[in-house]
Amino acid sequence: MRLLLVEDDTLLGDGIRAGLMLAAYAVDWVPDGKQALLALADHSYDACVLDLGLPGKDGLTVLREMRGRGDQTPVLLLTARDTAEDKIAGLDHGADDYLTKPFDLGELQARIRALLRRAGGKAQPLLEHCGVSLDPASKRVSFNGQEVPLSAREYALLHALISQPGHIKSRSQLEESLYAWGDEAGSNTVEVYIHHLRKKFGADFIKTVRGLGYQLADKNG
Amino acid sequence: MRLRNRGRIHSLRWRLLAGIGAAVLLIWLLTGWFSYTKAQHEAEELMDGSLAQTARLLLAITHDNEDDLAELVPRLATVRGAEDIYEPPLEFQIGLGDGRVLARSPDAPEFPILGVAGYSDIIRHNEAWRVLNAVSTDGRYRVQVAQAIGLRDRAALEVATQTVLPLLFITPVLIVLIYLSISRALRPLEQLADEVAARTPDSLDALTTNRVPTEARPLVVAINRLFGRVARTLDNERQFTADAAHELRTPLAALKVQAQVALLSGDTPMREHALQQIAGGVDRASHLVDQLLRLARLDPLSSPPEIRSLDPEALLLDSLNAVRQAHPQATQQMLARIPPGAQALMGDGDLLGIALRNLLDNAVRYTPPASSIRVELAQAHGRCDLRVSDNGPGVPPAALARLGERFYRAGQAAGKGNGLGLAIVARIAELHGAQLSAENLPGGGFAVTLRGLQTQHPDEQSDKTG
Repeated sequence: MRLLLVEDDTLLGDGIRAGLMLAAYAVDWVPDGKQALLALADHSYDACVLDLGLPGKDGLTVLREMRGRGDQTPVLLLTARDTAEDKIAGLDHGADDYLTKPFDLGELQARIRALLRRAGGKAQPLLEHCGVSLDPASKRVSFNGQEVPLSAREYALLHALISQPGHIKSRSQLEESLYAWGDEAGSNTVEVYIHHLRKKFGADFIKTVRGLGYQLADKNG
Repeated sequence: MRLRNRGRIHSLRWRLLAGIGAAVLLIWLLTGWFSYTKAQHEAEELMDGSLAQTARLLLAITHDNEDDLAELVPRLATVRGAEDIYEPPLEFQIGLGDGRVLARSPDAPEFPILGVAGYSDIIRHNEAWRVLNAVSTDGRYRVQVAQAIGLRDRAALEVATQTVLPLLFITPVLIVLIYLSISRALRPLEQLADEVAARTPDSLDALTTNRVPTEARPLVVAINRLFGRVARTLDNERQFTADAAHELRTPLAALKVQAQVALLSGDTPMREHALQQIAGGVDRASHLVDQLLRLARLDPLSSPPEIRSLDPEALLLDSLNAVRQAHPQATQQMLARIPPGAQALMGDGDLLGIALRNLLDNAVRYTPPASSIRVELAQAHGRCDLRVSDNGPGVPPAALARLGERFYRAGQAAGKGNGLGLAIVARIAELHGAQLSAENLPGGGFAVTLRGLQTQHPDEQSDKTG
């Protein structure tokens, strides 16, 4: 899962990025609205954490412009202003949720989980497929009731696949969900982690679709 | 709505009513007095006329009945007037030319009949009489006709009363009508008062002036102007509070998040990094709090807390040294320039030092390494300018005008400084009666000038420093 963080404050941005990386998200961090719009146009993000008070283009303008061009990325607003008008304006401009500063890192993580869940059209917090169940809150994965320990990258890859089980994900899409900018990605790392996951959940759990990418096995298959 | 203050009535309605009431009463009294004196005069003339007529009549009767005087006299002696002002009793005495009285009315006063012919006022036994003595043309008979003056006064009083009495009944009606019309005239003012009273600090729109009476319009215009000023002040305050909230909450949020990252991460380098960020963040937050407090202390002042004569060289060099110490790794070249024989500055040394340090600090932060930064003093005509300039990249032109605004950050400062440094400098300049101007230099670079600071008059120098 790859997130875009838009925050001008270096200290806060650094902290949020570290906190989200702890939750096994790949995080790209930009300090202003202009770069945020460029990043949103170039990459597909699973969610965006957007500060309202940005220099130059402020958060609301970014939100309006991205919704204006049909970008459906779920957006969580961060705001230091806690008046009802600010919250209403944010939600009406197309935000999916907001948090008032200062906030709890745990709450930020939980709200992002909820955003991702809703974006995948689910209300259930647990993601399940063919006996594999993934709990985004605790980052625990179990297979047929037995807990399976996963590394952060393995977890991130499984999370990307299991959140939309019917979809075929290309290698580059999967890479994007594993690595933020600046992370070094080897040429065959996705294959390496797919291999690890197949070892843990059975070779049939992840199917290779020639020329397109990877897909989870059919439920009845 | 009757407001009394130190015995004075402040309600327009009651003041108008009291004034008009007093005027009506005065006119009423004047009318009464005037009617009374006029009626008295008229009654006097009328009654004098009837005295003369009666005297002539009596003389004629006596003359024509010379032969039957013995018969006439007893009859005349029974003539009595009614006690009524419309048939006022006339007393008379008829006598011979030598003064012997032949006949008299029963109540006639006993005056000698021999007086000079003509009118006279005589007082006898506490009673005032109007008396007319007349003599027949041949001088054989004399007549004296008299009338009590009190009777005339009563008649005059009656006439005056008849004139004034209706007013006594009209006056209350008049007062009520005046009261009602005053109330009616004052209704727009009451509506205005209600409208103002219903206002909350949030609704400071201008009052409508079209229904307001002309006399009250200047007041409404002044109130509207005040509303405008208060609304602007409130807007600024609100903006400042919102900005301060944002500026304080962001570092707090950052500290919290970094602390939680440090708690959650099992990874030592990551935890170290987060802890370092926290230490830096606390420094930044305390700097922000210092700046906010400084502004809060400067805000209520109207002049510098202390005005002393300051040695410009010490002021500039101290500021420069303080900034050098705060940025030991700064590679910029910093120098101070003071013209020889510069006069002492008048101002608050602490505040001017803070201003210079803020300006120098900005210059150090936002110029590339190895730039040069100058702080200089220029004097002319008893005023002086303090100027901090650099040869760095300058500030985007659009941002120049907004530089002194609180929490405004331009160009490179965005995301770094707290946007209060220049606001503090601007406030210090304002307190010293100086102007703050910021400009991009033609050859590249940026300069901020505190223009128009006071210098010490050369004559005073020896007194003060001596």
